[in-house]
Amino acid sequence: MLFPTFGFLLFFLVVAAALAALDGHFTAKKAVLVVASYYFYAAWDWHFCFLLAFSSAVSFTAGLLIGAGTRKRLVLTVAIAVHLLLLGTFKYLDFLTLSANWLAHLLGLHAELPFIEVILPVGISFFTFHGISYIVDVYRGDVAVCKRPLDMLLYMSFFPQLVAGPIVRASYFLPQLARPSDEPIPIAAAAVLILGGLFKKVVIANYLATGLADPVFGAPTSYGGPDLLLATYAYAVQIYCDFSAYTDMAIAIAALCGFRFPRNFDQPYRAQRLREFWQRWHISLSTWLRDYLYKPLGGNRYGAFKTYRNLIVTMLLGGIWHGAGWKFVMWGALHGGGLAVERMLMPSRPRTIAGRIVSTVAVFHFVCLAWIFFRAEDFTVASLFIAGLFRGWDQGVQQAGPFSVALILIGMAGQFTPVRLFEPLSAWLERVPLWGIGVAAGIGVAIVNALGPEGVAPFIYFRF
Amino acid sequence: MPAPPPRAPLVTDAIPPRLRRVGTTSRGVLLMCVIGTLVLGLFASHDLATWSQRFEAMPVLARLAGEWDDAMSRGGLSAPNEVLRNAVARLVDMGWKTD
Repeated sequence: MLFPTFGFLLFFLVVAAALAALDGHFTAKKAVLVVASYYFYAAWDWHFCFLLAFSSAVSFTAGLLIGAGTRKRLVLTVAIAVHLLLLGTFKYLDFLTLSANWLAHLLGLHAELPFIEVILPVGISFFTFHGISYIVDVYRGDVAVCKRPLDMLLYMSFFPQLVAGPIVRASYFLPQLARPSDEPIPIAAAAVLILGGLFKKVVIANYLATGLADPVFGAPTSYGGPDLLLATYAYAVQIYCDFSAYTDMAIAIAALCGFRFPRNFDQPYRAQRLREFWQRWHISLSTWLRDYLYKPLGGNRYGAFKTYRNLIVTMLLGGIWHGAGWKFVMWGALHGGGLAVERMLMPSRPRTIAGRIVSTVAVFHFVCLAWIFFRAEDFTVASLFIAGLFRGWDQGVQQAGPFSVALILIGMAGQFTPVRLFEPLSAWLERVPLWGIGVAAGIGVAIVNALGPEGVAPFIYFRF
Repeated sequence: MPAPPPRAPLVTDAIPPRLRRVGTTSRGVLLMCVIGTLVLGLFASHDLATWSQRFEAMPVLARLAGEWDDAMSRGGLSAPNEVLRNAVARLVDMGWKTD
């Protein structure tokens, strides 16, 4: 069930009706949200609801045992191992089997491991990280032990963030489940986020994918350098619009249910350093990796060499988190290596305006280079794509039309537009009566629906 | 009396506190959603009919959506949708040269 569909609209109408009917009954509201979240997840494959429930049960039990002080370190280790085993089995088993068979072939061995073709449960990477975050936070004393199974079920399964994030920390979300919020629901801000998210996904991301990125990445040898370069820019804008749109809608839908979510994007392509890019891109993942991987590895506390090593290891694992494949390893290695080199050669931000502009352009193009590995079908296609960037410049553009180029420019302009410019719209909507917001939202969605192509492609981050 | 549970920090909220001062209740959310859906049904009736055809097990749904779409088309309410869609289709097909 995708957010920008009539199916989801009907689903949310039922949820909103139930929440309205249960106003003042917080526990019943949470129970409704758990049922709704499992229904939402079952829309993909109901079998995996058991996996989600098991993952929640492991986290809940581990939290209770750690809270009781029984062999805390052992419980922590076992619980994290169970989570990682589930993730490893469903996400990486096929990749490991193929890699082992390939290695065996290289070594001249004739034995082959059987290939099972495991189905990847949607959102497993996200709810695994939720579970680990809770267990570690309880162990560290950063969050109180969750003693209500209902709260744990909701934390792990809450439908706005279930399949593609943002990764919401236990220390951030569980306190919101402890008692009902006395804040009003920010309906104007939520409406603006939903309309903006729909536009980014349905219009910008979908047209860039179908009109430019997909055909060129699908057959890079058929195109010259200009098309390949524009397709790279198109994918950079597409993945940002696709993922940030999902996040914006998730934040808004959570807000409409009465919950707060953290910020996940902050105009990442305006970053002047690669480090800053990671402070602006998928913030909930980068801070998760920082707090649960980079810092426990030692962070920057043990000298320059170990800091570089920790950066590379963290980003390599961050790459593998995105998917089972060597192209994601390469993507993570590029970012880890880039962060290490940047730390070595450019420890602070450039001071002059020209330096800042050059830095921003350089960081954007480095990120684009890494996106080629991320998007390409495999490592070989990525290599062909990069080689093609330097050929066929006399052919001109075949695939990239004015409309695609305009969408790239609109997407990039959004990176440099001050966010506060959009706030007056929310402030103005706050003064509009509820029925007026409803009419405006209905017309806005109808316009975006008319502007977009027929059908909605799945969000890119659903496959992670 | 036990200490109240700690509140989640506000600093990392996606919707900043200055945009949270005014709002509504769960009932207000429902009202907005219902009105928004009705308005969407008026102007995007054609897509509603297409979407309902996926429910092969419920032919009555597709029939009702089709009748609704016909009524909206007769009233001219689906025209803006078609105008926008055709305009975007022309933009998508536009090339660098007009020859």
